[in-house]
Amino acid sequence: MGRVRGIVRGLPPALVALNLFFTACQSQPPASAPPAATTAAAAAQPAPAPNTTSGQGGSVTIGLDQEPPTLDPEASPSAITFYITSSVGETLLYVDENRQIQPWLAQSYEVSDDARSFTFKLRNDVTFQDGTPFNAAAVKWNLDRVVDPNFKAGSALAQLTGYAGTDVVDEFTARVRFKDPFVPFLIYAGSPYMPMLSPTATQKQADQVNQAPVMSGPYKVDEWVAKDHVTVSRWDGYKRRAPWSDHDGPGYLEKVVWKFIPEAGTRAATVESGETQLATVLTPQDLPRLQSAGLQVVSKPWVGMPFMMFLTTTRPPTDDLNVRQAVEYGIDRDALVSALYQGIGQKAIGPLTAVMLDDASLHSLYPHDTVKAGQLLDQAGWTPGSDGIRNKNGQRLEFSLNAIDYGGGPDQSNELIQGQLRQIGMDVKIKAQARPPWYEDNYHCANNGMELFLRSGELDVLYAAFGSANVGGNFNWSCIKDPEMDSMLDQGRRETDANKRKQVYLQLEQKLMDQATVVPLVDQLSVFALRPNVSGLKFTGNSYPLVTELTVK
Amino acid sequence: MNAYLARRVVATVPVLFGVSLLVFSMLALVPGDPVQLMLSEFQTTPEQIARLRSQLHLDEPLPVQFGRFVWNAVRGDLGTSIRTRRPVTTEIADNFPATLQLALAGLLVAGILGVSLGVIAAANQHSWLELGSMLLALIGVSMPSFWLGLLLIFGLSLRLRLLPATGGGDLAHLVLPAITLGLGAAAILARLTRSSMLEVLRQEYVTTARAKGLAEWLVIGRHALKNALIPVVTIFGLQFGQLLAGTFVVETVFARPGLGRLIIDGILNKDFPMVQGVVLVVAVSYVLVNLLVDLMYAVLDPRIRYA
Repeated sequence: MGRVRGIVRGLPPALVALNLFFTACQSQPPASAPPAATTAAAAAQPAPAPNTTSGQGGSVTIGLDQEPPTLDPEASPSAITFYITSSVGETLLYVDENRQIQPWLAQSYEVSDDARSFTFKLRNDVTFQDGTPFNAAAVKWNLDRVVDPNFKAGSALAQLTGYAGTDVVDEFTARVRFKDPFVPFLIYAGSPYMPMLSPTATQKQADQVNQAPVMSGPYKVDEWVAKDHVTVSRWDGYKRRAPWSDHDGPGYLEKVVWKFIPEAGTRAATVESGETQLATVLTPQDLPRLQSAGLQVVSKPWVGMPFMMFLTTTRPPTDDLNVRQAVEYGIDRDALVSALYQGIGQKAIGPLTAVMLDDASLHSLYPHDTVKAGQLLDQAGWTPGSDGIRNKNGQRLEFSLNAIDYGGGPDQSNELIQGQLRQIGMDVKIKAQARPPWYEDNYHCANNGMELFLRSGELDVLYAAFGSANVGGNFNWSCIKDPEMDSMLDQGRRETDANKRKQVYLQLEQKLMDQATVVPLVDQLSVFALRPNVSGLKFTGNSYPLVTELTVK
Repeated sequence: MNAYLARRVVATVPVLFGVSLLVFSMLALVPGDPVQLMLSEFQTTPEQIARLRSQLHLDEPLPVQFGRFVWNAVRGDLGTSIRTRRPVTTEIADNFPATLQLALAGLLVAGILGVSLGVIAAANQHSWLELGSMLLALIGVSMPSFWLGLLLIFGLSLRLRLLPATGGGDLAHLVLPAITLGLGAAAILARLTRSSMLEVLRQEYVTTARAKGLAEWLVIGRHALKNALIPVVTIFGLQFGQLLAGTFVVETVFARPGLGRLIIDGILNKDFPMVQGVVLVVAVSYVLVNLLVDLMYAVLDPRIRYA
C-alpha cells in the first residue's frame, strides 16, 4: 500500500480532523450586538438603491477538498456541508462578517430576562423553494426535528443544548424555550447549522433530503453527482435581499458548481488552468505559485479555537503546573507558523482565535523563552541529564504526544514541537496512531498532549473543551475539572450583556492560560484562490463562503 | 472442461468465506467501542449509541453477527453508511461503474503498451529499441502513480491545456487517469512479454516458420506471440486486481468518482459499514477476476482444459 500512503499524506491530517470535528458553534456576539435582554434593534435595514440580478448569468466551478456527507444541514457534522448550504438556506438571524447579529427570517427577536426563552417575530413574505409558506409552525418543526432522538442530528444538536420546545405564539411568532439560560442560542440562530427546511418537502422527500434539501435561500440544490460535484442554481423565487447582499433577489450567477477534488496539488492546478474558477484549502507550497500566476488569494480567519495542543492536567509529568508552563515557554509559535503555515495561518494568542476575542493581555502571554522554561523545570525538580534530557529521581522527563496517523505519518507540527521541547530537556514521544485509538486515548486522558482545533462561532465553544462534564467525551482533553471554570462557563451562558459576557470569557481565557491547559499554536485561515476575472466572494460570520455576489468578467 | 470449471468455482467458496470473515473482523478488531467512534463527531446521547449498537447488531454474540453479515451480504445488503446515511450497496452501485471503467481503461493501456513494448524489445534484442523500451518499463514500474498523475496534470493539463485534470464522464476525462493507472502495469507486462517472447523465439517451430520463408511479422505475430502470451495472461489477470486497488489512488489524484473515493472517505470518517462493503466488493471482484483468468487458460491452452 505504499502508493496509498503517498496520497493520504497529501491530505493534511489536521485539516481532515478539524473539518469533521465540531463545527457546532457559531459566531461571537459582538460588543456592539443589540442588547440581548431587550427587544432587538434588529429591524429591517434601510435598503440600498434597488439593484437586481436581472441580466446577469454565467457559472463558476469551485474546487473543494472533500465531499459533504449530506446536504441536510441539520444532519451534517461536517463543515463542507455549510460551504454549500450557506447560500441555499436561510436562518432566523444572520451573524455577519463583523459578527454583528442581523435580522433574516426573523425581523426581530426578544430574549427573556432569565435568558431561557427567545421570541422571534418572523417575516410574513417567505416561501420555501417548493412554494409552501414559512411560518412559526415551520420553525417549531425544524427545531423539534433536530432534537428528535430518531433523527441523528449533526452540528445543529449542540446549538439546541437544553432545548425545551418551541411555542407557536401566532402564525408569525415563535418562542423557543430552554431548560437553562442559554444566551449562545442567539448566535446559533444566526449560524448556518440550522437553516429552515421546508417541512412539507422534507417529509415527502424522506432520505432524499440528504441529496437535495428544500430551503428558502437565494440558490437551490440542482444535482449532486456522487464523488464529483454539487450544482446549485439561482432560485428566481427569491425576491428579498440577503443580509450580506448588495442587491434584491438571488445571486448574480446562474449556477455554481462545487467540485470535490481531494488532492491539494490537483486542486491548485485546476484553478491555475481555469478548469475551476475558485479553489479552497490550499497548501503554503502552492500559494506563491498561484499568486505569481496572477490569481487572487482571499483569506478569512476561522472562528472558534485555534490549532492548539491540549496539555493533560491529570497525567505526570504535565499534572505539574510548572511543567505545563515550561512547555508553553518552550514552544516557538512564530517558528511553527513560518515553517508550516505560511499564508494559511497566523500565530494564535489564546484558547479562542483572535477574531473571536482579542485582548492586549493575551498577546504577551508565554513568549518563546527557553531560559524561563528551564527555570520552571528546575523548580519542579527536573535537572538536566547527560544526554540533554532532564531527570527527576531517576525518571526521564518524557512527554507523550498523541498524534493521528492516516498512513503518511503524523502532522509535521508534532515533530516540530518534539524538536523545540528537546531544547528545554524534554523528550517528546510521538504516539502516532490511527484515528479511532487516538480518540480513545483522549477520552482516557492517556497522554500528555494532543493537537486539534475546533471551529465555532460562539465563545461557548470553551464549554466543550473545558467543561467538567466533557472529560471522557468531546473535547475536554486537558481533563481539567475546575469548579471555578465551570461556574464561569455557566455564567457565559446566562450573561445577556454582550460586554459583560466578553469579560467573562476573557477572564476564563486568562485562567486557562495561567493554568497552562492548552498551548495555542495557530489561528488558521480559510483560504480561497480566485481566477483574475472572478470577484465578489463573501463570507459569513463563521467564515463560510457565500456565492451570491460572485461575478465573472 | 465442465469438471475443471466446477473445480475452480468450488475453490472460490473458501476464499470468499475467508474474505468475508476478515472483512467482518475489522469491526471487532477496532480498539474501543466502534459505535462511539463512529459517532464521535456527533453529539450523542447514550440512548442513541444504544440504538445504533442494536441497529448494527453489535449487541449480539460474534458468531451470530457474522452469520447475519454473510446472509445479508449474500442478499446484497451491506448495511447503511454512517456518513451519508445511504445504503452501502447503493453507494457502491453508483460508484462501481466509474472504477470499473477506469480499471478497464488502465488495463487497456497496460495491455497495448506493455505487450507492444515487450514484443519490440524481444524482436530487437541487443538494439537501442530494446534498451529504450526496457528503460521506459523501468521508469513506469518505479514511478508511484500519485506522482505520475500529478506530473501528467502539470504537463498535459496545466501547461499544454490538452486534457482536463479532474472529473469523470467522457473519454477526455479518462485519458490521464488511464495512463497513470496503466503505466505501472504496462511496465510489468512489457518485461514479462519480452522474456516470454525471447524464450518462444528460440523454439524450433519458430525456426521452422522462418525456414518456410514466412514474413518476420507473421512469425512473431501469429506463431510466437500467441504462445508467449500464456504467462502474460496470468499476470494480466493479477494486474487487474492491482489496478482495481490502484484506482483508489488515481481516483483521488484526478478527483474521479469511484470505489477508491468511497473507501478513503470511509476510512477518514470511520464509516465502518462503507469500508467493509467496499473491501468486500473489491475482494470478491479480485477473486472473480482470478477465476476468469483460470478459465481463460483453458481457452488458450487445451492441455489445461483436459488435464
